[in-house]
Amino acid sequence: MDENTVVSGAKQYIVVKLDNEQYGIDISFIDNIVRLQQITRVPKAQYFFEGVINLRGEIIPVMNLRNRFDLEPKSHTNSTRIIIVKPENNAKIGVLVDEVREVVTLEENAIEKVDYDEQGMNLIGVGKYNDTLISLLNIQGIIQELDV
Amino acid sequence: MDLSQYLEIFIDETKEHLQTLNDQVLILEAEPDNIDTVNEIFRAAHSLKGMAGTMGFKRMQRLTHDMENVFSEVRNGKMSVTPDLVDVVFKCLDAVEEYLSCIVSTSDEGENDNEDVIEALNACLEAESSSSSVSDVVETPVAPKTDTVSSADKRKFTQITIADFEKNAITEAKAKNMNVYGVTVYIDENCMLKAARAFLVFKGLEEVGEIIKCAPIVQDIEDEKFDFDFSMIVISSKSLEAVKKVIANVSEIKEVIIEEFVVPSDAEVVSSVQEEKEKPSDKKEDSKKKAAAPTKSGGKPVANRSVRVDIEKLDVLMNLVSELIIAKNGLVSVSNQEDSKTSMQSFNEQIEYLERVTTNLHESVMKVRMVPIESVVNRFPRMIRDLSKKLGKEMELIMTGEETELDRTVIDEIGDPLMHMLRNSADHGLESTIDRLKLGKPQVGTIWLNAYQDGNNVTIEVEDDGKGVDVEKVKASAIEKGHITEEQAEMMSEKEAVELLFRPAFSTAEKISDVSGRGVGLDVVKNKIEGLGGDVEVSTKLGEGTKFTIRLPLTLAIIQALMVEVRDEKYAIPLNSIVTIEDILVSDIKYVQQKEVINLRGTVIPLVRLDEMLDCPPRDEEPENLVVVIVKKGDKQTGLVIDNLLGQQEIVIKPLGKYINIHKMISGATILGDGEVALIIDSNSLV
Repeated sequence: MDENTVVSGAKQYIVVKLDNEQYGIDISFIDNIVRLQQITRVPKAQYFFEGVINLRGEIIPVMNLRNRFDLEPKSHTNSTRIIIVKPENNAKIGVLVDEVREVVTLEENAIEKVDYDEQGMNLIGVGKYNDTLISLLNIQGIIQELDV
Repeated sequence: MDLSQYLEIFIDETKEHLQTLNDQVLILEAEPDNIDTVNEIFRAAHSLKGMAGTMGFKRMQRLTHDMENVFSEVRNGKMSVTPDLVDVVFKCLDAVEEYLSCIVSTSDEGENDNEDVIEALNACLEAESSSSSVSDVVETPVAPKTDTVSSADKRKFTQITIADFEKNAITEAKAKNMNVYGVTVYIDENCMLKAARAFLVFKGLEEVGEIIKCAPIVQDIEDEKFDFDFSMIVISSKSLEAVKKVIANVSEIKEVIIEEFVVPSDAEVVSSVQEEKEKPSDKKEDSKKKAAAPTKSGGKPVANRSVRVDIEKLDVLMNLVSELIIAKNGLVSVSNQEDSKTSMQSFNEQIEYLERVTTNLHESVMKVRMVPIESVVNRFPRMIRDLSKKLGKEMELIMTGEETELDRTVIDEIGDPLMHMLRNSADHGLESTIDRLKLGKPQVGTIWLNAYQDGNNVTIEVEDDGKGVDVEKVKASAIEKGHITEEQAEMMSEKEAVELLFRPAFSTAEKISDVSGRGVGLDVVKNKIEGLGGDVEVSTKLGEGTKFTIRLPLTLAIIQALMVEVRDEKYAIPLNSIVTIEDILVSDIKYVQQKEVINLRGTVIPLVRLDEMLDCPPRDEEPENLVVVIVKKGDKQTGLVIDNLLGQQEIVIKPLGKYINIHKMISGATILGDGEVALIIDSNSLV
């Protein structure tokens, strides 16, 4: 799976923050970024789902990456955003992040592939940008695991 | 132009004709002397043949041609309808259906020649013709009735204006001993696609000759810019009969007027001898069509991917949409008003107006989506007949309420479950004829299929007067298969035991037949119907019969719901499942098997605490009163404990999106007026 998603040439990523870590999401999967709005809890859903939101008449499930990555829960702040990701046609999913920082362009040689990480298929690699490291999220991998 | 664009019409029409044939042959089987039925069959068979021919499906054409021959003999009184003949015809229809399904999937008729069926048909023909050769002589031809009234003005081709070069072409053709015909074709007024018919006529004519002039012009005909008739001048080496036949082979052609064409100067003196000869058969064809019209005008919607919509319904929709725009404009102008007091008032007026429009709009859209249940049930009489033969039991199917309408999405799904239940009734429900006689029951077993609307639901009942379900046998079988223990079996009420039938892999049939008994069935039926938001129930009386009752919601997308609050979360409960709302004292709660119940006017109703089910945080202190919404599923009731009532609202059901796992007690979500999302509780799963 991750073989296919690894970039060839330069790609753009949106850099988001969870605690002090920086994560990058491939911009081609991103549909939208919205401010935090009321999230309706869905009982008995998977633990990492925060609930559902109404995005212009469409109901979209929202995933909390903190829960997904077993980070400490943290209350939402003014900079909390929901990134609407579109891994497939006709299917959207919201990802809750602490902060959206910037858009970066990474060359292929700036990305170090990881074969696996502790949680499985969550990352496709680590990008080096200036002096910082960005963990590149494997959106399809994260979604795929949800299907199981 | 390419024939493939007519494939869809062809498929639709073939389905319709097949359905007519099935229905009519069934009638014919019961009343072999019914001449109207024979005519109807002949007409449908003829149309089938013509359509198959023009579309180039040779095998299908051959088969239907032979079938037509048989009925032509029957119609002429040279052949009588025997049970054998009916069997062969049904086989023939099945073969045509096979061709059709092949065409649907591959747009080719396939390789099967169905020689055996054709042989059987011809055998019928031969057997009869040898025995009835005597009656042949007695047969008098139908007295030719001349129809002179309209023949003159029907010959519209005489009005075609002819240019010089065309005149030359005609003279030239005549010099070459070619025939020149003037043709006027009348298309049936009920025809949906006149242009397609005209095209087929052209295509057919081009095979036998050449069209030199056409009125209105070809472009107009292709664009359907003509009434129900068009005329042309054709040069052909074929005989008049042959040309006429080519045209008449196209279906939905009401009438063909054809005669030798004479250049206008002497058109007035055209002898109508030839036409007089043509008339009788035309007339016959015509009256036959008329006889057929009433049965067809009921509009048999074919269960396919599209919905045929009454143009009036669309007009209503269009009107409502324009009203919606007016309402919007009204709101815009209100927002521009300065004076806050009057603007508030007119604002409210506009809101009311908007509400009225949206309610009507909803209703109309729903109506557009409604399809009569007839489109699925009309194949059942034939199925029961076949089952009757196969199982060697005499049975009849009585259907009522075929006109009951259901949402198209539901209609599409309901066919298979219904068929399954009918098979069940036929195979397991009804006793064999001998057993019935022994029991003193009527020899012929009866299966009823009743459909009717009941509030916001449609109820479909499948009932038989057979042996009923033997509860003890069901229990024994369930114990044997390990579904339940013996203790459980003893505790079970009759009703619960019957419910066992819906467990997967359950069958009480002693032997497996290819009709049913494999034990995959009722559970699938139940799943499917519950998936549609409905439910199934059985009631049975040993020795008297079984009744399956299916309840389905009229529509799926928009429902009336009761909005409730549990802690600070809002939920919607579909109104159609709610019986009452009660305010009860906590002290009134009793316990049965450690479960909370209330005794409400003599009925013991179990309680479900929605807050616990929905993992809400516990309340600090239990209040003295509880608000309980009593919901029902069939005749079972359950009380849902909630915190607050918010009121009734019309809600639009939306899916929760992919990826998120949803517990089955949540059937979807809706968006409230303030944009907030509220989940919809599927009370059926809680009862």
